[in-house]
Amino acid sequence: MSAFWQIFRRSVLQLARRPIYWVGIFLLPLFCFLLLADLMSDGLPVKAPAAIIDNDGSPLSRQVSQQLAGMQMVDVVATPHSFTQARHLMQEGKIYGYFLIPENFEANLLSGRAPEITFYTNMTYYVPASLLYKTFKTTALYTKAGVASDVISSAGFTENPTAMLMPININVRGLGNPGLNYAYYLCVSFMPCVLQLMIVLITCFSLGQEVKYGSSKRLMQLAGGSIVRAVSAKLMPQTLIWWVIALFLESWMFGWQGYPMHGSWWWMTLSELMFVLACQGFGLLIYSALPNLRLSLSVGALVGILSFSIAAFSFPVQSMYGAIAITSYIVPTRYNFLIYIDQALNGIDIYYSRWWYVAYIIFMVAPLPLLPRLRKAMLNPVYVP
Amino acid sequence: MKKFFRQYYHALIQEFRLVKGDPGVLIFLILLPLAYPLVYSLIYNPELVRDVQLVVVDNDRTPMSRELVRRIDAAQGAWVIGYAANLGEAKRAMNEHDAYGILEIPEGFERRVGLNEQAQAVMYCEMSLLLRYRGLLVSATDVMQDFGATITTRRIDHIAPLAETISSGDLMPVNNIQMGNIEGGFDSFVMPGILMLILQQSLLLAVSMCGGAKRQDPRKASFTPLSAERSSLIATMGGQTTVYLIMMIVPVIYIVHYVPLIFRFPMAGDTLQEFLFIVPFVLSSVGLGFVLQGIVRERESIFVIWVVTSVVFLFLSGLTWPRYAITGFWRVLADAVPGTWGVEGFIRMNTNGASLAQVSVEYRNLWILATIYLTAGYLVQRFVQRPDIEAAARRLENDSATKS
Repeated sequence: MSAFWQIFRRSVLQLARRPIYWVGIFLLPLFCFLLLADLMSDGLPVKAPAAIIDNDGSPLSRQVSQQLAGMQMVDVVATPHSFTQARHLMQEGKIYGYFLIPENFEANLLSGRAPEITFYTNMTYYVPASLLYKTFKTTALYTKAGVASDVISSAGFTENPTAMLMPININVRGLGNPGLNYAYYLCVSFMPCVLQLMIVLITCFSLGQEVKYGSSKRLMQLAGGSIVRAVSAKLMPQTLIWWVIALFLESWMFGWQGYPMHGSWWWMTLSELMFVLACQGFGLLIYSALPNLRLSLSVGALVGILSFSIAAFSFPVQSMYGAIAITSYIVPTRYNFLIYIDQALNGIDIYYSRWWYVAYIIFMVAPLPLLPRLRKAMLNPVYVP
Repeated sequence: MKKFFRQYYHALIQEFRLVKGDPGVLIFLILLPLAYPLVYSLIYNPELVRDVQLVVVDNDRTPMSRELVRRIDAAQGAWVIGYAANLGEAKRAMNEHDAYGILEIPEGFERRVGLNEQAQAVMYCEMSLLLRYRGLLVSATDVMQDFGATITTRRIDHIAPLAETISSGDLMPVNNIQMGNIEGGFDSFVMPGILMLILQQSLLLAVSMCGGAKRQDPRKASFTPLSAERSSLIATMGGQTTVYLIMMIVPVIYIVHYVPLIFRFPMAGDTLQEFLFIVPFVLSSVGLGFVLQGIVRERESIFVIWVVTSVVFLFLSGLTWPRYAITGFWRVLADAVPGTWGVEGFIRMNTNGASLAQVSVEYRNLWILATIYLTAGYLVQRFVQRPDIEAAARRLENDSATKS
């Protein structure tokens, strides 16, 4: 048996023997995938608890209340009698917004005294508040349009009342995700980021274990002193397992869960396979630079957790401060996200994504200059707690 | 009783020594709660997404279509980077990642307005980020209403009897008032919740790492293993908990008061009441840490297992995905995490100005969790951690005996 396969076999056994690898490689990533996908399986959190304060009590105000209660996104759970009461309900977390119909609303409206409709959304909770905003605004505008078209036609103006009230209409169309499905944003970005975190940690952990327990000498001996052979044979079993998991993730997201796949499966598959290698390269880079188990894991954990924010899955890079925005490009998961946008969500030509694939390759070769340093650490293992 | 206090004091001193001498634990207890809030807040601190790049395809080329483009360019959320000759060219700009939206104005736009018909325009948005879409959508909606109102007023001037009713103002003004996070900023929304999660995670990691350190070196234990005098576990755990509470005083003050101050997050709550709210939160996190000690055999393994849970807790907490939409098993799981109640209660106190009485549900649940986890922690210490440390101490004794 050649040296490569001996090391390969050795590291397969290492992976199989310690429960922590089973937990870190299979259990945790799969649990996270399941959590995210299941939580967001509805696409949008419908039925946000809200309240209506009807201080008018007229036929018109009751009609508005009924209309609002019938909307898909809201669940009218309370009808408080005053603003203060509603605000308290909001502070207690029972409602996420409320709609206020003022006193003498109908009378003032029909006599042209311009009553004001005000709705309050609790922006402490971004998502429900945004959905309530949309629902409240639509309801208010429909009410207004209804009354206005009555007034206009009663004044003898017989032409098209819609054009009268809304002379300009800008039709906003979301390409690729018209239904505003949240899972299309959060799952496709967070799941690969979880994968990146685990790959980096497991890479550092498995290399660090060798140095910690002094078995790295044996590893180098098996590899005949070649660090490249030692590392590649050591990490190859992990690569194969991660590939299976990455492909499972891909088929699960775009196949079973039905997240948008408007481009070519082949480019996405290539992206996932290269992503795994890029993450391993990233982990190897961290460990070679800091060949100490705890230090490398600390850095890996720090970068891995910050990746969820700096990779700009929700807040765009263009809006960040420049010095922070550039760090977005030093994590592999950023490129996975960019390729997803181009190749799966928008389905554009591969030409436009070419640089993202090149970035993967850079992550793969980045640790090479540091390998001599790793070799030294492997040959003289010292465990610094 | 005297014995109890002596043991309590001994545990306290031992734990202090351990914490002080262990850079790993110090990183979690001091550096993590001090540095993470700064880094996170800096990432999101620009708060709003302004000036999303937009390309215009104007097939009308009239004063009115130009006016529309000017108004959209002036809106907060959009920035017109240029005109494209046709949709193909505009699409290319989008594919090159230069623009995130296309505004297409059809031929006859102005003429339709002149004919009292509804003039249509289309805005295509790239959907890679929700906040970018939101910026374009809000800008388009605002312009549509403002510009429309201008045109309507102009028209109504021709219909004398109604002129005063409608043109002198809106028929029925509609206002939205944002509560809590009044500017609607992303940083102010997400950070107060993240702060609580950082607090929880740093406590959990520190406490469980202390446990791992003791298994590796039983001399660091908070009780004297193998001594004839059986030390009380409650005294030991009490001593340890006291150390964690003392260590958390500075980070908690910093996180609850100074981080929001530095980054100008909403601070509507009563600071004293917020501290009272944090107490059971810290206690339940420490309790959970004691439970975790049962599975942490090696100090480093905690990284591999526990770091990713931050993501799990973030989603379970109801910050990104609201709690009313979390059901079934996930709801039960979320309820068992101190962070869920900590986030819920703290953001409402800090951002919405709720009093402690108004978050009584969360406060009560935190006390319940604290009781449960400290009890479970007691059992884990009693049946797993302590026997393990004693076994390790015995091994150490035998080793030194054989050596000498």
